[in-house]
Amino acid sequence: MQYSQLITVMNKFLRIFILSIFFLSCSSDLDFNQVNDLKLEPVVVANLATFDVQANKFVVGGVEQPLTGDVMDFNFFNYTNFNDRLKRADFYFEFNNTINRDFKINLIFLNANNSPLFTIPFDIPANSTFTKTEIFENAKLDVLKQTKKVAFVITLLPGTTLTDSSLGSLKLRSNAILYFVIQ
Amino acid sequence: MKKLIVFFVFSVCVNSFSQNKQILYNFTSVPQSLLTNPGSDVKYNWFVGVPLLSGFSANVSSSSFSAFDLFANNGVDFNAKLRNVVFSTSRNDKVSMNEQLEIFSGGFKLGDWQSNSYISFGMYQELDVLTYMPKDYAILALDGNKDYLGKVFDMGDLNARGELLSVFHLGYHKKVNEKLILGVRGKIYSSIFNVTSTKNSGYFYTIQGTNSIYNQVISVNAMVKTSGLTNYIDNYSGNAKSDIIKKTFLGGNLGLGFDFGLTYYPKENLQFTASLIDIGFISHTKEIESYRLKGYYNYVGLTPDFILGNINDIVQDFKNAIPLDTLHTKYTTWRPVKFNSSIQYSFGDGRSSECNCDGNEVKYTNSVGAQLFVMSTPRTPLMALTAYYKRQIFDSLEMKATYTIDSFTSKNIGLGLSTTLAKVNFYILADNLLEYKDISKANSLSFQLGFNIIFPDKNSPD
Repeated sequence: MQYSQLITVMNKFLRIFILSIFFLSCSSDLDFNQVNDLKLEPVVVANLATFDVQANKFVVGGVEQPLTGDVMDFNFFNYTNFNDRLKRADFYFEFNNTINRDFKINLIFLNANNSPLFTIPFDIPANSTFTKTEIFENAKLDVLKQTKKVAFVITLLPGTTLTDSSLGSLKLRSNAILYFVIQ
Repeated sequence: MKKLIVFFVFSVCVNSFSQNKQILYNFTSVPQSLLTNPGSDVKYNWFVGVPLLSGFSANVSSSSFSAFDLFANNGVDFNAKLRNVVFSTSRNDKVSMNEQLEIFSGGFKLGDWQSNSYISFGMYQELDVLTYMPKDYAILALDGNKDYLGKVFDMGDLNARGELLSVFHLGYHKKVNEKLILGVRGKIYSSIFNVTSTKNSGYFYTIQGTNSIYNQVISVNAMVKTSGLTNYIDNYSGNAKSDIIKKTFLGGNLGLGFDFGLTYYPKENLQFTASLIDIGFISHTKEIESYRLKGYYNYVGLTPDFILGNINDIVQDFKNAIPLDTLHTKYTTWRPVKFNSSIQYSFGDGRSSECNCDGNEVKYTNSVGAQLFVMSTPRTPLMALTAYYKRQIFDSLEMKATYTIDSFTSKNIGLGLSTTLAKVNFYILADNLLEYKDISKANSLSFQLGFNIIFPDKNSPD
């Protein structure tokens, strides 16, 4: 075979090879801008608050205390990323009262100045189970996001006086369902 | 042109690696095959790679999904495609990328024509990324935990490494006798940057509780190590380009490695080869910054105790239980070790009807063979099996066709051509040829090409 022929053959060979790789190859229409459509919508569940107060805790030094309470820091809304992406929050409360007394409980949400933003009231009859769901969206959610502290205030309603030997407890289980949208 | 751009965009944005060079391995008319086996039966009087053009290879692989699956312009909502990809993959699916660019290379024969010892040397830059699918993290991001009560999310699903490094190497191979060729290569690595997060563990679960609504526990021991990046994370006032050039030329975090290889001919037409590549480490001592998240937290929510004055700060409790620490301790990374082996049977007399003036060496026209490739990864080793056919088409044109099965694809057909016209050697190797009909659907693609100038080995003293 002539040298020139050889080169021609080889040129052809290589050309086909390279062309077939780079130019005859196809690609379906791809659109990388679709990344901008990314929208994550995770729904997170978590405990919100839990307590179990024995009946005799309402008795101090043999005297029934009509008012009991606690204030706690609530720092979840300190984070801008968290706040911006939270679109809805459902708070679920489940009280189980085995004490022979009616209770009134206020869950108070406080802002940075310790001023109440709003209150969720619960009226819990003696020896009963009581549930309530509070849904926060839009303007109501915006108010919730200013919360820095929460306070539980438990008021004993009139009834048979509690003593150190009174039985039963006031129990709370609660959770939050948080709906996020991340774009 | 659009396709080319897509190809390169994809190869740059998507992680890649898979260092199986099944076409190059034992393709002895290309001097770069010495990089896959320092004991290759490569003969030359001297050769020099055309600077920056002697070897370029790129490979992109994804074991479970393709660019098409995510980015097809088909009217389907991107989030629906993303869900499909996430839920059709497993935590062992991986996306990998490897790119190598030879900056310079060369070699020469030691001694006179009767000598059988060869030196080869060079420098190349390599980008190497391997990411496993962080499946449980993806599920949490997509859906949250509400519909997954009872599922234990595996925090070990985060497993990734990435590195840009330059490698200086010097190799020596010698034909010990008619049957055996042995080779060794020493390497100095200079790591330009490294990110490693491969030994993470921990779990997160939410189950129905009794006293509280849920039992929620997170336990995590995760670490992301970085080197060579601190200057760019904080306020950076230098010149990144000159920094990278400095680090390329031994100014980075240094390491040391070795390659070993052999070629053995039990019979004239039967050949066995084996090599171990990159037995080495890099010691990261400069510009290191690591982040560690370690601890255990049982989340119960607010727990009023109705005792005034007690502080109850959940966010702070969590941060105390699982602190995020920034560390500046030295660390060592091991290079992914590659093992190659092949067995080859040759047939057909290559001496043309024209004059065979080369002397008495029998050159076969055809060879068939099988190769095995194994590479270490943070989880199970990567394996590939290749069958190949090699043919000397003309004296100056050699072809190798391969069929490879690995974890990325089971129908990988590759083709390599090497031509040597006058003293100029040009080679081009590409695999997964079937995928080129629509590269956007490919799970794996690689190609390699380069130019060398080779002065052939002489069998006579003239």
